[in-house]
Amino acid sequence: MSMSEPVTTPESGTPVATLEGDLVRKARRGDLNAYDELVKRYQERIYATIYHMTSNHEDANDLAQESFIKAYQALKSFKGGSSFYTWLYRIAVNKTINFLKQRKNKYHLSLNDLDFNAEHDPDLVALVSDKTPLRDAGLAELQKKLNEALLKLSEPHRMVVVLHDVQGVSHDEIAEIMGCNIGTVRSRLFYARQELQGHLAEYMKPA
Amino acid sequence: MNQSEHNFGNLKRLLKLKRQEVPPPGYFNTFSDSVISRIRAGEAGGAQSATERLHVTAPWLVNFLNIFETKPGLVGGFAVSLCLLLVLGVVFSERSDSATKNILATVQSAPANDSLALVAAPPMASVTDSSGIIASTNPVTSLQPVATMFGQPNPALFQAASFAPAGTGN
Repeated sequence: MSMSEPVTTPESGTPVATLEGDLVRKARRGDLNAYDELVKRYQERIYATIYHMTSNHEDANDLAQESFIKAYQALKSFKGGSSFYTWLYRIAVNKTINFLKQRKNKYHLSLNDLDFNAEHDPDLVALVSDKTPLRDAGLAELQKKLNEALLKLSEPHRMVVVLHDVQGVSHDEIAEIMGCNIGTVRSRLFYARQELQGHLAEYMKPA
Repeated sequence: MNQSEHNFGNLKRLLKLKRQEVPPPGYFNTFSDSVISRIRAGEAGGAQSATERLHVTAPWLVNFLNIFETKPGLVGGFAVSLCLLLVLGVVFSERSDSATKNILATVQSAPANDSLALVAAPPMASVTDSSGIIASTNPVTSLQPVATMFGQPNPALFQAASFAPAGTGN
């Protein structure tokens, strides 16, 4: 993203939305520089969502690239009924769920490294050192267990947890992205968390 | 729902760990370039380069060439062996030519009474007509001499005919 342009999220205000609309219009006419801007704007969030769903860097890389390519090819069919961001998310989510259905039971973990900040995150440090019965379990071990537990969830449940609890996407937006109503999103989130808590019981004490 | 939100507090804190998982350093610096180049490649309408076509049609050849990239010493060895093969091919082809000539010479100098030898044709008395076509009355020679055209006559199958005109006898 160039330094002259405002670095903001699509939810934050009108100027960005207008700018996004301009970029989408230009990209639809075949302007690849405009589309490059759009890719740079959303690449981290799209990659992260797919990565948290697959727990595999290589798969996330391929799927994220393919999602952006498919979005570009389908740009002419984008009516603007929702934001480009939501529409792009929907493409990535569908692509990931289809991929996971084909990959069923053949997955392997290829986890990304933890950011340096993780070691200094007070919540996580407290969780590992105080709340965990297995005091020797380091963050890396916890990361592995967490990803294994996530992979035990069904795809729709995992997607809701990833989008809401990891990515911070609102219930409304998740409903739009996944093509279901808010009640379904809340219900999936509840059961997914419950299941996840069961899988990770030995790492957590009740609050 | 608030109660359940409260119950899931630890889980949500644990899930924050996911946010700290990051791809390899510098990964996003080249990500958009990869996407755009793949889009451009797709727009080129499947106009693959010769190398890409080779990857699809003859992957074994690509693997073979890749060996040379990793071990340059093998290129020299491969070139020397090719030259050696070429020289050997030339030498052997010359030898086989001389051997053929020897065999032909042996056949031509073989004795005439050999049953398998070619029957020498009698001197041809040829006549050249006005149109320049060579006509000959000599029989066509064959490799195996045949006594008669229909083989040996069988005396049991026919009897000699005799003719006596009326009034000449008795």
